[in-house]
Amino acid sequence: MTIDTVTLFFALLAVALQVAVALTAMACIVPSARRVIVGTLGPVALGLAAAVAIGAMAGSLYLSEVAKFTPCKLCWYQRIAMYPSAILLVIAAFRGDGTVRRHVVPLVSIGAIVSSYHVLLERFPTLESGTCDPTNPCSLIWFQKFGYVTIPVIALTAFVVIVGLLGIHRVGSDLTHQPKAGYP
Amino acid sequence: MSTISPAPGVSRRSIVLIGVAVAAVAVIGLVAALITGNNDKSVATAATVEMGTVAVTGAALADLPETGTDPAIGKKAPAIVGQTFDGSVQRITPGSGPMVVLFVAHWCPHCQREVPRITDWVKAGLANGVALQAVATGTDAKLPNYPPSSWLEGEGWTIPTLADDGETSAAAAYGLTSFPYFVALDSSGKVTARTSGELTEDQFTKLLATTKS
Repeated sequence: MTIDTVTLFFALLAVALQVAVALTAMACIVPSARRVIVGTLGPVALGLAAAVAIGAMAGSLYLSEVAKFTPCKLCWYQRIAMYPSAILLVIAAFRGDGTVRRHVVPLVSIGAIVSSYHVLLERFPTLESGTCDPTNPCSLIWFQKFGYVTIPVIALTAFVVIVGLLGIHRVGSDLTHQPKAGYP
Repeated sequence: MSTISPAPGVSRRSIVLIGVAVAAVAVIGLVAALITGNNDKSVATAATVEMGTVAVTGAALADLPETGTDPAIGKKAPAIVGQTFDGSVQRITPGSGPMVVLFVAHWCPHCQREVPRITDWVKAGLANGVALQAVATGTDAKLPNYPPSSWLEGEGWTIPTLADDGETSAAAAYGLTSFPYFVALDSSGKVTARTSGELTEDQFTKLLATTKS
């Protein structure tokens, strides 16, 4: 399997997740659809969030260790947000511990902010500086698919999906633990 | 104090959802393999020299400082003999007239933005008696926008270009610390100005003017 195949795979996955996020967000506007989404996704949201985080971590390790794409400073900041989240989410998924969102949501939110800035930097390199560091500038685009999917775009997608899944899990938990009508 | 609540029961619909997600990932993997399997990768032709052999004669210039006075101003720049992308000999000979030597890297986003501008300025006759020489340096096949020969050709680049070697000897001899990099030399081969980063037309014009001062 070539590096080009794997990077295209990552990019397609990111696009699929972006479409899923957009459709889910739109469907959530309708209360009946929201109930179905929460009822379906809620019980498995922690597991799915863990899978996304593990996938993102494995993907970033592939890019640096196999494809030999040297991570830049901002890549490292995003790794710092994603890697602990992946471990926390896996443990939480096995324990069914929804309280993990208190630790993971801040982490992945910071990661999403860094990813957003990294995407901006790729589009507008002069935000960082007017020159390229010969070693490894953050504005370097290692690959770009479909005209916009780059490494930080994939990372941003993963961060947003994790936040969304944890949100759905929370709503699902709240509904499950709501007192039924007629209870004192 | 919060308590850990057990995960709510997973419904049949949730299990179907997981199955669909796993299947979607597998299909996406298959599509990626099929698409890339049918792609012909464009590569440099065998005759193209992306990294040449470089010989430097003369003392290397000090690295361009980030701030403060440039210690290389007034110093004689070293001569370089190397190869163009087609393998023919390319010489950068300070002292042969007013000259600006440009250093670009194929993967550098700033170079990718600056090269089309310089191409336009050259076409508009901005150089006007100042010889322009380029060095394609920092070349690395695993970095984006490789090979530099195809990139520059695609941009309509007409400036004679030397392909730096794997150790970036030419760039090091001229004190490069970042890309894109410009070194202006007067007719005696002495450095009149050095700068790095994207230049505006006005800045480029001023740089050219220093070679004649």
